Amino acid sequence: MDIIDLSWWQLGIGFLILIIPAWILWRYKTGLNKKLGIATVRMTLQLLFVGYYLEYLFELDNAWLNAAWIMVMVLVADFATIDRSELNRKKSLLIPIFAATFFGIIVIDLFFLEAVIQLPTFLSAQYTIPITGMVLGNCLRSNVIGINAFYYSLHEHQERYRFYLCCGATRNEAVFPFFRDALKKSANPTLASMATIGLVSLPGMMTGQILSGSSPLIAIKYQIMIMLAIFSGTVLSVYLGIKLSNRFVFFENDVLDESIFVD
Amino acid sequence: MRTFSSERSMSSQLFSIQNIHFRYDEESVFQDFSLAINQGEKVAIKGASGSGKTTLFRLLLGFEHPEKGEIFYHGAPYSSKNIHKLRKEVTWLPQDLNLGSGNTSELADFIFEFHHNKESKPQKTKIVETLQKLNLSEEILESTFSNLSTGQRQRVGLAICYLLGRKIMFLDEPTSALDERSKQKVSDLIMKEDLTVISTSHDPWWVERCDRVIEL
Repeated sequence: MDIIDLSWWQLGIGFLILIIPAWILWRYKTGLNKKLGIATVRMTLQLLFVGYYLEYLFELDNAWLNAAWIMVMVLVADFATIDRSELNRKKSLLIPIFAATFFGIIVIDLFFLEAVIQLPTFLSAQYTIPITGMVLGNCLRSNVIGINAFYYSLHEHQERYRFYLCCGATRNEAVFPFFRDALKKSANPTLASMATIGLVSLPGMMTGQILSGSSPLIAIKYQIMIMLAIFSGTVLSVYLGIKLSNRFVFFENDVLDESIFVD
Repeated sequence: MRTFSSERSMSSQLFSIQNIHFRYDEESVFQDFSLAINQGEKVAIKGASGSGKTTLFRLLLGFEHPEKGEIFYHGAPYSSKNIHKLRKEVTWLPQDLNLGSGNTSELADFIFEFHHNKESKPQKTKIVETLQKLNLSEEILESTFSNLSTGQRQRVGLAICYLLGRKIMFLDEPTSALDERSKQKVSDLIMKEDLTVISTSHDPWWVERCDRVIEL
């Protein structure tokens, strides 16, 4: 079946549906209408930019350019992770979390794109950019949950952490329960969506493929693969994010550098 | 601020604080403060809230650095290396111990599984015996730690500290949530041993049983 192209004016009509939620939000004085306006404009502009950029990227289909684009996406995700985790943009956090996310994404990309799908051209844009984007978006969400949970819990329960140190624990041993809880919190949403996928919701990637004419069977194979990639990528990047940043946010006496927290 | 020195000889001196200055932002906590604590001493630190009891513990445990002056452990000035060594030779019991969620036995086991503690991991019989000495039953091991009363958590914490076999104990208000019987049991367990006990306390009963009182 051919895909029905969406004209710009049809898309414009689509925006009209926002009148309903905007009226509800206004009626109940939620104060969210301004936010809704900004979010809608941002979403539209960002996606327009990405759409045009991707057209250009797909046309060139250069592995180096694609890798550079991944770097830019990871860099934006790095700042967003730290801001949304309510931590300060310090070098001791920015560099390790960037390295963790980048490494996590590269491992997942190389494994799935090159070893599983076996792309005919290395890091082909058509596959690399969307798959990386999906994994990275989920990594960002999990990193925010995991990194925020880890550092704020350590901050809140400092006495417990120090008690462990005074019981002979190394720093790694003393942070272990906080690390475990952060991993659990960050992995749970993805596990929950894996357990209900297909029953409660049809995932975006699969829907997109079906809409663009793929057979549902091809779509589910890709969807299963992307779920595996998302789960592995998120756990790996949260693990590395905490592990690497841990090396830079403690003083020599194992005291956590409190200046990482937003006041 | 008063300055205290020990009457015991320098050779048994465990901690020595020499002319330290410490402040939190603009608030000065210690100014030219000195103190010596000897091996085997039972010391009670008294003082009003904000007088520096907690800060003194933090300084002695290496969690804070003095602005000026020096702290010595066994005659050696504090450094990152000997702070780590010190923390393997002491234990510290906070006033209101929180070990997170889980049953008491699992949470205590986690501590005995630290690499440094593996060799001294106590047998179940020794754990039960220690709990009984502190007026606690064996069943407490299977209870959820966070459901225990403050006094029970305090005694479980003390049992863990005791079972680690360290010779130096820092205790933060160790009798604040205990009845007379439990206080006696705690005192019987740790005050008779060859332990150095450094405690903060407002409890006259406990202070009376210490060798020395330091008022901040």
